[in-house]
Amino acid sequence: MPLIAEIAISVLLVVAGLFGLVGSYGLLRLPDAMTRLHAPTKATTVGVGGVLLASMLYFAVNGSVSWHELLIALFLFLTAPITANLVAKAHMHREMSQGELPDSDTGRVWATFERPGAPIAPVLTSAAPVESAKS
Amino acid sequence: MASGVVAGKQGHSALTGLAFAPDKGRARTTGQPAATRTTAHNQNGNRPGMSLALIAALPFLGALLPGLMIRAGRTACAVSTGAVTALALLLLGLNAPAVLRGEVVQTRIEWLPQLGLNANFMLDGLGLLFAGLILGIGLLIILYARFYLAKADPMGQFYTYLMLFQGAMLGIVLSDNILLLLVFWELTSLSSFLLIGYWKHLPEGRQGARMALTVTGAGGLALIGGMLILGNIAGSYDLSVILTQKVAIQSSDWYLPALLLILLGCFTKSAQFPFHFWLPHAMAAPTPVSAYLHSATMVKAGLFLMARLWPVLAGTPEWFYIVATTGLVTMLLGAKIALFKHDLKALLAFSTVSQLGLITMLLGFGTKAAATVAVFHIINHATFKAALFMTAGIVDHEAHTRDIRRLGGLRVLMPVTFAIATLAALSMAGIPPLNGFLSKELMLEEAAHTVWWQNPWLVGVLATIGALFSVAYSFRFVAHVFLGPMRDDYPHRPHDPGFGLWAAPALLAGLVVLIGLAPMATAAWLVDAAAGAVTGAAVEVKISHWHGLEPAALWMSLAAIGGGLMLLGLFAPLSRLWEGTPRPEAKRIFDGLVEPLATLSRRITDALHDGAVTRYFAIATLAILAAGVWAFVSGTHQQGDHALTPVALVPAAGWALLMVTTCAIVALHRQRLLVLILVGVVGLMVSVGFAYLSAPDLALTQISVEVATVILLLLALNYLPKTTPAESGGARRLRDGVIATLAGLGAGGLIYALMTRDFAFDTIAAYHLANAKTEGGGTNVVNVILVDFRGYDTFGEITVLGIAALVIYALTESILRPGPANDRLRLWKAESQDAGDRHPLMLVVATRLILPLAIMVGVFIFLRGHNLPGGGFIAGLVVAIALVMQYMASGFEWTAARQKIDYHALIASGVLVAAATGIGAWFNGLPFMTSAYGYVTLWPLETFELATAALFDLGVFLTVLGAVMLSLASLSRIALRAGETVNLAPYDIDPAAGRTVKEEAR
Repeated sequence: MPLIAEIAISVLLVVAGLFGLVGSYGLLRLPDAMTRLHAPTKATTVGVGGVLLASMLYFAVNGSVSWHELLIALFLFLTAPITANLVAKAHMHREMSQGELPDSDTGRVWATFERPGAPIAPVLTSAAPVESAKS
Repeated sequence: MASGVVAGKQGHSALTGLAFAPDKGRARTTGQPAATRTTAHNQNGNRPGMSLALIAALPFLGALLPGLMIRAGRTACAVSTGAVTALALLLLGLNAPAVLRGEVVQTRIEWLPQLGLNANFMLDGLGLLFAGLILGIGLLIILYARFYLAKADPMGQFYTYLMLFQGAMLGIVLSDNILLLLVFWELTSLSSFLLIGYWKHLPEGRQGARMALTVTGAGGLALIGGMLILGNIAGSYDLSVILTQKVAIQSSDWYLPALLLILLGCFTKSAQFPFHFWLPHAMAAPTPVSAYLHSATMVKAGLFLMARLWPVLAGTPEWFYIVATTGLVTMLLGAKIALFKHDLKALLAFSTVSQLGLITMLLGFGTKAAATVAVFHIINHATFKAALFMTAGIVDHEAHTRDIRRLGGLRVLMPVTFAIATLAALSMAGIPPLNGFLSKELMLEEAAHTVWWQNPWLVGVLATIGALFSVAYSFRFVAHVFLGPMRDDYPHRPHDPGFGLWAAPALLAGLVVLIGLAPMATAAWLVDAAAGAVTGAAVEVKISHWHGLEPAALWMSLAAIGGGLMLLGLFAPLSRLWEGTPRPEAKRIFDGLVEPLATLSRRITDALHDGAVTRYFAIATLAILAAGVWAFVSGTHQQGDHALTPVALVPAAGWALLMVTTCAIVALHRQRLLVLILVGVVGLMVSVGFAYLSAPDLALTQISVEVATVILLLLALNYLPKTTPAESGGARRLRDGVIATLAGLGAGGLIYALMTRDFAFDTIAAYHLANAKTEGGGTNVVNVILVDFRGYDTFGEITVLGIAALVIYALTESILRPGPANDRLRLWKAESQDAGDRHPLMLVVATRLILPLAIMVGVFIFLRGHNLPGGGFIAGLVVAIALVMQYMASGFEWTAARQKIDYHALIASGVLVAAATGIGAWFNGLPFMTSAYGYVTLWPLETFELATAALFDLGVFLTVLGAVMLSLASLSRIALRAGETVNLAPYDIDPAAGRTVKEEAR
């Protein structure tokens, strides 16, 4: 393996490790849920991404190009923001009220505080037998 | 499957491996090859025949028909059942000529040769007689039952039970292997239980069935012991071998125990004193059952076995005194009670007991002549007793009562029934020229020549008294039911039934007359063949009505008839005397014996099995622990000699994490959500451990199982209490803690001991590694083991998984029925207000994007499974998780409406695909589940492998997917009942529209 590749892989791994460490430390030390969200979503995404890049590079230099890492990265970039979004929503719903939050800039309350009004009757499908309908 | 000459050696060599100390040596020396046998069985040579197994199997196959055919109507049901029986009868008939020539037809099928248990069948004269009775009378019963059963009775069920019973009986009389015979023997006990208890709504039916099962089942246990001893003495479990070992068996020290145990089995089955009491109580069954069980089949099984083993067991003083005395006592007792019974069927039941006693006594005499008479009387009794039961049933059916005191004068109202009943009853009484007379006179002749304890006339006199009583009760059956003045207080005005109901008894009555008039032409040949088989010597009977004035039997017969008529004349005062004398009530004694036993067993069972899982765990853990400690203490122990490996940092960290998590779970176990997260941590650590120890398949499986489990449990937890209530006190917790600690230390010690030494035997791993590619066609050994080497296990496992999912569905179903669980669900209140966007747009969009990717990953993992980590199980979980995400994002109902495949069908198709793959091997002449593989080149792809194992894996995939989705569906139904609402759109808030979609949908 050429030295330059070794250096690149090492740097990637070290950076990834650092980001991982910082992310974990942040998760531990940041004061409340909303700020804590930043640590894992941002830092560990870069951390894992660094490891993936290092892995791709390593195998490419060794003669077998591997695409799995791209797929992993894709999954990660799809799921991490959604997870953060859901955690934030859950936190808002359970721990906060509309008054504590800034204006949503839509002329409406935050989504989680929307009142849907009267419940809608279930739509019955083949998978849900008739007697399971709420009377 | 091999047909033909008996191979005595095989059973012999199989048996010598069994340690049975006292006779082991003898068994070795006396086990003779079949070629040297000297009985009639093989003097004329054996004849191969495959049809015997088929004859025995036909009724069992036929038992499947009635349940289907009942939908086509009651007549179609009866006809189809009858057709199966007729077919078996026809097959039997095809074998009859050979048997009557003196040959023995045999079919041999290896089943468990290591245990000496083979499905060997043989047909000789005795078997032919009984099989003919079972099938012939069975056919008549099927006809009779068609018209006897009421519309409300489930007829399909009746015929199914009947066919099961018929098959079991046929199995007994056709078995050549005594272990096989025992299997069928137990089957008759079980199927007769179903038949006797057929009218489930009647308490007498249920109690009678239970009593019959208890008595015959207990006898069956004794019989098992006796048969095993007999087989060990003879050196083989094959009857054809055992029957040649008379000298060895009778000189063995174990002869008497074997005899006693076998006779216990026979006497309980054939209702001999003191076990006669169950038979009258079994009369609570519908009359066709009584007619079948108590004339030709069930109770004759005991007689059959005594006759079958007659060549080797009979002829000793023990045999004579036990069997002949029991028979004599039973005959007298049964006859006396029968006379005073007012219930028609009870009268017939006790008369059956008496007649069975008569036959037992004849077998007990131990002479060839007496055994021949016994065989003849078995035929005669079957004909007249079946006819009598059926006429009793007709009377019950028409007059709506079986109480003799409420009947009388039916002669005019029911002339046909009267004629049939009279013929059969006269035969039972022994009136010439009917068949009952012939055998009864022969019996009296034998009894007159029998010396009991140096007393030359005792048996003769007692037999005459028995015959006298039988004359009396036979005449009472006719006189008090049919003769006398006509009454006007019948519960229902009787008249002759339709042809269908009296055809069967009429046919039997015809036989009674025919055998009576021309015994030599109609019955002698069958008696010759059967008696030849019983006694082991060629028999040629001469049956005639007139033997001259010399024989004692003539005078005994005359005395019996005269005395019987006198007894009937004095019936009224005698009956008053009978009613006035106290006598032991069998049912009360039986209940008194069984009740405390039942209480005791219930107490033991309840103590061990109280419904609390903790107790089961405690008992099982302690038992295993005790076994381990005992093994450790009683054996010798050496320190293992493997060097311990140093502990590296990474596994130590994982280990510490596992320990901390486990302790945390114990400490926090009441907070369920927290525990679930901790369990997830444990699962992840375990899968990391698998990956670290180079088991990527297991790691993949573990991690996907973990994800699916946590998701499903989270959904379920929503509707459960958030904390576990404290139910156990400190002492209990201490006890459980001690047990758990001990078990943990034990398991740890065991693992330590195993890992510090070499295995005692070579592991199978080397074989798997060497053969995975060459035999299974895959380089991923784990997958090849799952789908090929141990494919049958996997098949069982996916079946269990499918069943588990169905059970979850069924439990949900029961929760949603009206009841406390349902009420709690209805009253369930969410902890907080529902979120305004339970189905956020971002989540919905992301899961839609992930779905095709995840399915691609699933397909990838599935396809590469055979050679690289992966496979159907993991792929199934991956796809299931991808689908579950869709349901979570948009709600169950919205998503379910968009998928077209039923989850039940998914599970079923998975199991069926796997089964079909396994069965496919049969078509290539290979065993079940043998896999095949080949290589295919398909442009533009590289050459790739196609294996049937992949199809099997597809079955695994479908089952796993179906099981997860069905569990999700069940949880969703619970959610709906708890008040969860259903959304009509995929997401709640559409930012573009600026208002909630729900409102729009409304």
